[in-house]
Amino acid sequence: MRYKILTVDDSKTVRIIVRKAFKTFDCDILEAGNGVEGLAVAAKDSPDLILLDITMPVMDGVEMLTKLKADPQLKGIPVIMLTAEGGRDNVLKIAKIGVRDYLVKPFKEEALIEKAGRVIDLKPLSEQPAKAKSIYDSADILVVEDKPVIIQQIQEGLKHTPWKIHGVSTQGEALDFCTKTPPDLMLMSLSLPEEGAFTLFRLMRTNVKTKYTPIFALVVKTETVQQQQAQTVGFSAIITKPIDISELESKMCKAMNLDTSQRYFSHESGFLILRLPENCSPSVVAEVSNYLKAKVSEAVDAGHARMVIDIHELKTLHMGVIKLLVQTMQTCRELTLQYALVGNAQIITECKGFEDTRNWVFYGNVDEAKANLGKAAPALATA
Amino acid sequence: MPAAAEINEPLIREYITRAVSDVFKTMLGRVPAFVGSSPQPLGSTSPIVPSQDRQLYVVGTVGFIGEVNGLIYLYLEEPFARLCTCQLLGMSEPELEAAGDEVINDAIGELTNMTVGGFKNGLCDAGYPCKLTIPSILRGSNFSIEPISSATRHTFNFDSGGHKLVADILLKAGD
Repeated sequence: MRYKILTVDDSKTVRIIVRKAFKTFDCDILEAGNGVEGLAVAAKDSPDLILLDITMPVMDGVEMLTKLKADPQLKGIPVIMLTAEGGRDNVLKIAKIGVRDYLVKPFKEEALIEKAGRVIDLKPLSEQPAKAKSIYDSADILVVEDKPVIIQQIQEGLKHTPWKIHGVSTQGEALDFCTKTPPDLMLMSLSLPEEGAFTLFRLMRTNVKTKYTPIFALVVKTETVQQQQAQTVGFSAIITKPIDISELESKMCKAMNLDTSQRYFSHESGFLILRLPENCSPSVVAEVSNYLKAKVSEAVDAGHARMVIDIHELKTLHMGVIKLLVQTMQTCRELTLQYALVGNAQIITECKGFEDTRNWVFYGNVDEAKANLGKAAPALATA
Repeated sequence: MPAAAEINEPLIREYITRAVSDVFKTMLGRVPAFVGSSPQPLGSTSPIVPSQDRQLYVVGTVGFIGEVNGLIYLYLEEPFARLCTCQLLGMSEPELEAAGDEVINDAIGELTNMTVGGFKNGLCDAGYPCKLTIPSILRGSNFSIEPISSATRHTFNFDSGGHKLVADILLKAGD
């Protein structure tokens, strides 16, 4: 649901600042220059929130608020006063008419967002699925862990990614960090003193900027009570120590909604290339399998009629990989895409040992495979 | 109604320096330094803009009416007014050029509104309830504003990174 926020202010400057403040959130900003216009827009568009100035020509904010609250159709719309009219008595008098909050100018955009976020469920625009980021985009990851060695382990394990891994050891440092740079994902150790991770988690969820940030719990494998507690409060994932870095990376990609297909699929001079990594864990197999059909269809649609399946980096063959390769070849056949395999000596030998794979034909490198696919009737693998 | 004379110079200085500092720091990330004040005799008409100064000024003005009545003029040299507008709205100079002077007027009007709001909220909390009026803007060079003879006048000068900022405060004497 896209929220509508109505700003009623005679100053165009304030209306521009309000629009600017909310531009990274999934909401529409409606504008009115005085109370009369404000009531008309409120009646026509039923906004979810009104930001109301007081001193305005034609009809001031107090009169508009009074009329709004007297109208059965409009009285339910929450109002936040945004005005230079402060002073204790003024604020109390207006609060009695019925406002949700009061922000005295001058104001920081962050304060406005925070107050609005308490009234409506503001969602950052980047949460929209259409804006999926790639695995090659940078991201800020915050690790809140009181044991420096764990932070180092995560930094070391993820150094091949473009992500910046920031480590802090206390709640206070984490809050400071989030105020300056809202992270794309957080990892919190449940071993922080005095259940600090749970307190921090709740604070993050009440802040508009981190409300939807994925937060993982870091916990020792045997601490099952803490794991259950973390699941109950709503941590996005539980990562157990000792940390399996490839599993962590895979979960992080999923939580940040990253497109990881470019890791495995590429286009090279008219060929679709599928490259499997050295360690093809079950999560990698699942990832490739998820992208497969779409990527092959995309290649056909773009006019590519040939595909190279490159598994020469693979250390060892297992049933998951075999099933994935069979699925790939099947997809190619369905879409009449020519394909060829590239493997290393170890894999070729292992393939001879399985009924389903013993007849597969491999090329020594990608160039050789490409050259042969270019010929009329390449020696294709069969499955 | 309390006499304006009861609101003495140190109180006015405290409220205006706090208001200017709050507004410029919060909205523009600038902290203007207070460089001096010049209490004026009753009915003083001495000009803020020296007669030989050909610099174009943008002057925002907002009044307050209630238990105490008055008016504050905020003087900004035109290049400083442009700079403040760009910072306030996140605009570049060419964008501001395209947008026109109305945008500058509105931005300076709002900065004045916030500043006078901060000043008069101090008066409200000190027991002098009053309300703001709608901002207006004066533009020009080599001009002086003549207050009514019964008004007390206080002029406060600020410096923001080499730019001059003047708050000229007129308080109507108590009835």
